[in-house]
Amino acid sequence: MTSIPAHEHAGAHGAHGHHDEGSYLSPKKTFMATVMSWVWTIDHKKIGVMYLAATLFAFFLGGVAALVVRAELFEPTVISADGVVTGQLLPNINIIKEGAVVGTITGNNLYNRAFSLHGAIMVFLFIIPAIPAALGNFFLPLMLGAKDVAFPRLNLMSWYIYIIGGLLAVWVLIRGGVETGWTFYTPYSSTTEYGATTAMVMAAFILGFSSIFTGINFVVTVHKLRAPGMGWFDMPLFIWAVYATAIIQVLATPVLGITLALLALERTFHIGIFDPAMGGDPVLFQHFFWFYSHPAVYIMILPGMGIISDVIATHARKPIFGYRFVAFSSLAIAAISFIVWGHHMFTSQGELASVVFSGITFLVAIPTAIKVFAWVATLYKGSIAFTTPMCYALVFLFTFTIGGLTGPPLAVLSADMHLHDTYFVVAHFHYVMMGGTVMALLAGLHHWWPKMFGKMYNENWARFACLLVFIGFNVTFFTQFFLGQHGMPRRYATYVEEFHTLHQISTVGSWILALGLFVHLGVFVASLFGGRKAPDNPWGSLTLEWDTETPPIEHNFHHEPVCEHGPYDYDDVYPPRCKPGEWPMPAPLPPGARAH
Amino acid sequence: MALSTRTILTRSGALIAGLALASAAPARGALNNLMFPEQVSSYAKPSDAVMWFVFLVSAVFFVLLMGLMGYFCLKYRRRPGVAQQRSVGHNTPLELAWSGIPLILVGVMFVWGLFVYTDMMVAPGRSEAIAVTARKWSWTWDYDNGGQSLETTKAYKVIAEAPIFAVPVGRPIKLLMHSEDVIHSLYIPVFRKKIDVHPNRYTTYWFQADKPGDYELFCAEYCGDQHSQMMAMVRALPEAEYQEWKAKLLDTSKVPLLELGRKLYITKGCNACHSLDGAPGTGPTWQGIYMHDVATTDGKTLVADDNYLRESILVPGANIVSGYSNQMPVFMGKLTDRELLALITLIKSLSETGQSEVEQILRQDEEERAGLEAASPEQTEK
Repeated sequence: MTSIPAHEHAGAHGAHGHHDEGSYLSPKKTFMATVMSWVWTIDHKKIGVMYLAATLFAFFLGGVAALVVRAELFEPTVISADGVVTGQLLPNINIIKEGAVVGTITGNNLYNRAFSLHGAIMVFLFIIPAIPAALGNFFLPLMLGAKDVAFPRLNLMSWYIYIIGGLLAVWVLIRGGVETGWTFYTPYSSTTEYGATTAMVMAAFILGFSSIFTGINFVVTVHKLRAPGMGWFDMPLFIWAVYATAIIQVLATPVLGITLALLALERTFHIGIFDPAMGGDPVLFQHFFWFYSHPAVYIMILPGMGIISDVIATHARKPIFGYRFVAFSSLAIAAISFIVWGHHMFTSQGELASVVFSGITFLVAIPTAIKVFAWVATLYKGSIAFTTPMCYALVFLFTFTIGGLTGPPLAVLSADMHLHDTYFVVAHFHYVMMGGTVMALLAGLHHWWPKMFGKMYNENWARFACLLVFIGFNVTFFTQFFLGQHGMPRRYATYVEEFHTLHQISTVGSWILALGLFVHLGVFVASLFGGRKAPDNPWGSLTLEWDTETPPIEHNFHHEPVCEHGPYDYDDVYPPRCKPGEWPMPAPLPPGARAH
Repeated sequence: MALSTRTILTRSGALIAGLALASAAPARGALNNLMFPEQVSSYAKPSDAVMWFVFLVSAVFFVLLMGLMGYFCLKYRRRPGVAQQRSVGHNTPLELAWSGIPLILVGVMFVWGLFVYTDMMVAPGRSEAIAVTARKWSWTWDYDNGGQSLETTKAYKVIAEAPIFAVPVGRPIKLLMHSEDVIHSLYIPVFRKKIDVHPNRYTTYWFQADKPGDYELFCAEYCGDQHSQMMAMVRALPEAEYQEWKAKLLDTSKVPLLELGRKLYITKGCNACHSLDGAPGTGPTWQGIYMHDVATTDGKTLVADDNYLRESILVPGANIVSGYSNQMPVFMGKLTDRELLALITLIKSLSETGQSEVEQILRQDEEERAGLEAASPEQTEK
């Protein structure tokens, strides 16, 4: 089995090859030159890494705000008969001017700021850009066998725009004390003293431009820069998912711009659009907002679904079951996502509209179900390795299935009358967003980490952290389904006695979850500084990004790669092109045995 | 063989099914309490039934998917010397089945939910109407006889006192709702329904309470600082008691002035922002504010005398105390002169300078009420 042609192929430009080109990570001659090589880089890999750093920092900020929110809810703020307030974690802060108390920012107000900060940062700064802009940027050209994305300078510009928008958003959120929630519903948002709505929507709009640029770049790259021999149906499903996402980004984000323009018109020229005092309609804002933000939900989840397809295929060594159904289901989700926004307004819009939107909403269930069934069917007769990425893919299947199945109760008109704006909704979208996208991001990060940084991580610690995250996540959010069903409304700084126990369980869960994520951080840091050198293809994957060195050279490939097989042809291409026994590889077959 | 395997199976199956049915009613009740609050409105039961259907279908799919996943993970885990096996890459009938069957199931959910929803939204013609006003951060219900609730409860620990709104049992009520400022949402979990309350149009919320009792009313649309304390209690009363309760609302002229002030303080929602004991809040405390100097946001210094208090209640935006924002609804035209006097008297009673005046006002008020009571029997006789 050592005389495998593929193995020789890997060795040819593997560990002992001499290269005229260094890894994209190798430092330049001076420190300043290295820094400048990052600042002015047009290398999609460096931009991907910069996106990764920025989005993970946003994740940290948003996560701290989430912990504050959960900590406040550990005890309800209650007033005793003689007026003594207890259980309030965030204190009332007196505004003192010239030595005299002239006003108060209440603890409730601080709580409202905390959840607004959490929501806005997580949505706009973390979850929308995290997978497409970080992992997508790094791997889309590699998986297509391209040297770079189609417009490398636009790519760098999109990162800077993201940073400008991100800084503005964080500044507005903290300095302006935005306490409107991430949804900025008018007229609350246009009348509150604290919420700098226009500035915040402006920040979201700038961030939207960054999304649009990335989206255009990806669409063109997928159309024009596929390796010779790679047809549409030879693309890895991650590419399909990122492609569908890019289309939504390009089409939906302009609506956010229109909304901003209307808000600005109203504020500067007093043209009544959303403000009822000027004859406007506040629900119109909700329509505009969700016309962007609902497709944005699929911007958040689709790339995650793509990662799961790739991770499951690689670590179970099976082609994805029903590849075309899975690929087209991404496009179907992208298409349907544009016509379901009204399901966010079942309690505020007309009955007929609600009926129509409820009906269409159910259609999203079908392509989503197709994907989940296909992933499970892919495991059939596979060779399943419980590596960290695979563990996260399985966690994804568990939590995302719960997230998906708790969608229909919210789409059922009568049930939504009860569940709308309660913790049931909070639990549902956290199961989809965190249980879906974040688990997929963690799967992808562990899957591609060796390729990105050339180092392996400690598999046992990573799996231990995965277990903590899984337990912590479910303890935190599963309880919230029960809270919602019993009528606990969301965005509450305090609550009546009957919800106390469930809130406490949920808060304890958030600590376990945070601990798990910190262990991951430790594992990654340890890997960067003390990790074992990663082989070129540690998982024996067949997609093209593993066909180059680890970490990749600056121009990705020494020669233009040629696509000779499908991304998941594990049944036909065996053994894979890498050294057997190097890492959790498929164990070698006994002498004389055939692969299939 | 007297008993074939098949007979045994059928008989034991029937026995299990019988037992399950026999224990179903109480068990179902207990299960329902685990999942949902009490069923009080006429449409709570059908609404829960749809949700149960959705949950059970979901549970079947979840168990199926996770069962298969677990089984595959166990059976096809990577072992030395064992490669994956070739299997079909796709199977159109199977893929169509797992697209089609969920489609049919969600179709059933949609139609069933639509029928229950129709019942929830279309109020019966014979409903009694109550006008509901929402504001940051309180609710007011105007009953069809012109009365407003003055009764409060201390049952919720998150807020010192909350208003009680009575409704009759077994008869449909239609709330005609509007908001004075931002969007709110009237939510009564035991009724299984919430409807948003808008500043620019009316929305309706009909219900029929089938059981007497006290039920929580929440605001479910985020509306700022005291969103979580914007609570009230819905008290479902038997018809006769309800009529009696409603009749008592009519006349506030007989309620002693200071007591009226305290009640209005709760029912008009002043308590959401203004404390009586000096505690900080969204608005300035009322303790000691009477005849005290106040600095306004536009740099003036005013004395909080009777006229300032009157103006600040009726048109709050005229002079805002520095450090606070203009969040208060306008009360112009919403309070009778006596109600306004009651609130001002309450504020006066909280500062030392006002004490002697308060005593005088209360004495006067007592005399007037005595006069009213003496006069009223004659009036009714006429």
